[in-house]
Amino acid sequence: MKTVGRAFLRYLLRRPGLTALQTLGIAFGVAAAVGIALSARAAFGSFSAAVEFLRGRATHSLIRPAGAMGEEGLADLVGDPAVEALSPVLERMVALEDGSPVRVVGFDPLLDRELRPAFPRLAAGQEGGLESSLAFLLEPGMILADAAFVEKLGKRPGDSISTVRGELRLAGVFPNPTGEPLFLMDIGQAQSFFGLPGKVDRVDLILNDGPGFLSRRGTGFRLETREDRRATLGQMVRAFRLNLEVLSLLALFVGIFLIYNTAMFSVISRKRDAGILRSLGATRFELTAAFLVETLLLGMAGGALGGVLGFGLSRFLTGEVGGAISKLYFFLRPAAPSWSVWIPALGAALGGTAGVLGSLWPLREMSRFDPAAALSGRTADRQAARGVRRLAAAGSLLVVGSLLSFGLFSGSLPAGIAGAFGFLIGSSLLVGLAEVMAYPFLKRLLGRLAGLPGKVAAGNIHWNLSRTAVAVAAFMVALSMSVGLGTMIGSFRHSVARWLDAQISGDLYISSMDSAAVPAWLYEDLLRLPGVADVDPYRSVPVSYRGTTVFASGVDAAVLQRRASFRFRRGGAKNWDRVREGEAIVSESFARRFEVQEGEFVVLDGVRGPEKLRVAGVFFDYTSEHGVVMMDRSRYLGLWSDPEIDSLGIFIDPNEPRRAEVEAEVVRRARAAGLPALARDDLHANALRVFDATFSVTRPMRSIALVVAFFGVAGALLTLFLERRKEFGIFRALGFGTLQVSAMTVLEGLAMGLLSFGLSIGVGTGMAAILLRVINLRSFHWTVFFHLSAGPYVVALATALLAAAGASLYPVLKAWRTYPQLQIREE
Amino acid sequence: MTSFVRVVDLWKKYSADGEAETCALCGANLTIETGEIVALFGKSGSGKTTLLNLMAGIDRPTQGRVEVEGRDLHALSERERTRWRRRELGFVFQFFNLLPTLTAFENVFLSLELAGRPERRPVFEALEAVGLESLAGRYPHELSGGEQQRVAVARAVVKRPRLILADEPTGNLDSQTGERILDLLASQCRLSGAAMVVASHASSPERFADRVLRIQDGAIVR
Repeated sequence: MKTVGRAFLRYLLRRPGLTALQTLGIAFGVAAAVGIALSARAAFGSFSAAVEFLRGRATHSLIRPAGAMGEEGLADLVGDPAVEALSPVLERMVALEDGSPVRVVGFDPLLDRELRPAFPRLAAGQEGGLESSLAFLLEPGMILADAAFVEKLGKRPGDSISTVRGELRLAGVFPNPTGEPLFLMDIGQAQSFFGLPGKVDRVDLILNDGPGFLSRRGTGFRLETREDRRATLGQMVRAFRLNLEVLSLLALFVGIFLIYNTAMFSVISRKRDAGILRSLGATRFELTAAFLVETLLLGMAGGALGGVLGFGLSRFLTGEVGGAISKLYFFLRPAAPSWSVWIPALGAALGGTAGVLGSLWPLREMSRFDPAAALSGRTADRQAARGVRRLAAAGSLLVVGSLLSFGLFSGSLPAGIAGAFGFLIGSSLLVGLAEVMAYPFLKRLLGRLAGLPGKVAAGNIHWNLSRTAVAVAAFMVALSMSVGLGTMIGSFRHSVARWLDAQISGDLYISSMDSAAVPAWLYEDLLRLPGVADVDPYRSVPVSYRGTTVFASGVDAAVLQRRASFRFRRGGAKNWDRVREGEAIVSESFARRFEVQEGEFVVLDGVRGPEKLRVAGVFFDYTSEHGVVMMDRSRYLGLWSDPEIDSLGIFIDPNEPRRAEVEAEVVRRARAAGLPALARDDLHANALRVFDATFSVTRPMRSIALVVAFFGVAGALLTLFLERRKEFGIFRALGFGTLQVSAMTVLEGLAMGLLSFGLSIGVGTGMAAILLRVINLRSFHWTVFFHLSAGPYVVALATALLAAAGASLYPVLKAWRTYPQLQIREE
Repeated sequence: MTSFVRVVDLWKKYSADGEAETCALCGANLTIETGEIVALFGKSGSGKTTLLNLMAGIDRPTQGRVEVEGRDLHALSERERTRWRRRELGFVFQFFNLLPTLTAFENVFLSLELAGRPERRPVFEALEAVGLESLAGRYPHELSGGEQQRVAVARAVVKRPRLILADEPTGNLDSQTGERILDLLASQCRLSGAAMVVASHASSPERFADRVLRIQDGAIVR
């Protein structure tokens, strides 16, 4: 039925302003989803590519349960019948002078031939031939660097590159398929550079019999396949990735509301046309199909544009996502995604799907309406006013059901996310009833503000419920998410700040800015320094527990018992007594993740085989969602013989009269060892900066959700205006000035904004509680304490008022431009 | 012999939530023979539009039957009723009810397309018959009220229906234009042999009608 379709599609051209608003709304919703999807794909693709590239043809890697291993055992490996090839690797990070981290891989050019043929070829194939190759092997600080990164730095072979650990010299460049900055170094030079003589992080192997090989190794080693490695890294970022994807769906969710909004407007405004068509003999199917085609086209056009916008967004977000992963999990510097024609196609598919989802209910309405009623001009809004109670009842049930589901499916993250969306959808179904209840108040408020136009504006919102409630709901959802995320992040920040105050309580902290160790002699040296009361040598390593990665920490339990104020789930500082005797404390995330209680045992693989540690207490901690097992350094050394130290916490004697001098001396000695020393406040500030950076990716998402909602409200106002042009004409004929008609439109917008904000106070606070108590707890297994602050609410109010005022500008412009007499005439 | 259309004890009641039932049509009876033109007079709210909607099959009666050539229209499936409207029925409304996004030509063509005969020539002929061939490319908002109603007449007659239902076709026009429209409708009916029911609150269609009926409070009175 070409003509039926044409009759509907021409509305898109006939109301270009509205079509543009709707298209842009969908485009921004899709842009958020595509932007995050592309960034996540680039980031996670980058770590897969890095694993592939760096592992070469290795089938396995031999690693220690914790810490680096000595290279003295390599000779034994050479003779093992299962080993076809092997190569030791030292893989660390170094920070450039501007603080940006670069991965450094120390490899043996001779042994690496079988595993990574490209690496030795690179080392041998530099300009200058043999002489240059020898320089790579023998000269300290010689590196090969990936070509793209070197170009970005503006360096050429032979140039120096400054790092916080000293100068490196560029011997040559190579193309790096992983897209992340990478330096290659001879392993001997890398050991010297990082102060780890005789140490390797792993031995990459080509094995023909993995189990046989492992059985001959005895205890104290772990064999990891390439797939294990990828799975381990993937598992580490699983919750982060899921949260990121859910976040990206937020804008699309608001976008679906917008489409629903748009489609519902279209259905209502086309009812008369549909009635005519039905009276002429068009079937319900033909009408529904024509409407679906229109929605699909709009969705796909908006989606394709959203794909292009999303690609632009991903150029920015990839760095943010990579930065957040690097700060929280493992080093990752993904390259921005490259353009493909599939991107707008993906956007169009998303927009089209969102279009169909958003228009399901309106389509149902379109297929079920009564043609005689449509032709008679009986409006749906009187019925809508009756329907709000039914919708509110359904919404209340959904809200209650969602809240109950949190208790019923405790622990399930997907159920938690579904419950959160259920809560949002349920709340949005209550909007109609809230509008009805708010009407007397709005009428009084707007009447006082603007007299008769104000009262008319309040009436317009009330008597056009089916249109205004959806727009208010979409806006309310966006504002609630802003309030919810803002309060959640604020609470989290507050909890982290309190945790930092309690646990990171040393006066100074010494640690390298990269993955180099703090020398043991510095620890001994500072212990003897007059005025220094205590030094806590901290070491944290990833270890395997029940097949997943957790972190094991070694600390000086006596020092922390004296100086820090850890918050325990049960008991207090007395828990440290048992830690000093060889027990361990576990973080809340560990306890929740593995359902371990105080007094139970955890079994960790040490160098002498599995060892049981009794859990003395469970402490609140935000360092890793995967879980931390903390023990005294003596126990740690007994388990893993790993003497490395990551950082030193220096506690100055509180009675020391020359405090400033002692601190200065500590800083001087640390600098002499090539390490920075940070005051406690600076360390706290750095930690909070890292915290803020990890949440920076949420900012554009929240903004986009608001932009999408803005288009929703603007579209709603414009549709109301277009539908009531005749009414406006009558008002003007009765003596209303253009200014009053405009004021009416602006007041309608502001009232809808205020209403949305008012509702978002409750729903947003509820969302914050759900994010903290359900999503965060199930994703990251830690308790974040609710902290209410005015900031997110003020931001939401300002956004609501500005967006609502902004949204009414276009209808106002139309009001000024339209000649009153024309508005009275029937089309 | 079976009449072309028989309306038998037709009732339509409306009830709003919590309100008493309103009877829009209260036991109407009517027969229409093939090619007959019936004028139906009644005040506003007397049930004219309800009766026409029921005869068109776009509304459902509370009680009673509308028989078309002996078949109960409301016993047919929705698909069959739609087919009946597509092929056998032309509708003319008081407010023209042209689709605002289609040109005059497309509005008329739509009727043929729905009837399964998407031909252009009859559209031009119908527009020529109503004197609008030169305005075929105009949209409804570019036409006067009288011109819009003439397009509506062309749309109703172009598929040569066997029944035309005209609901206050002159109600929104000045008397001179209204007369022309009625003249046009009647002549087109005579030409094609279509039956027609013209509902009106004024007596202007009287002179074109074979029979004149009155409707009052939902019932047809002679």
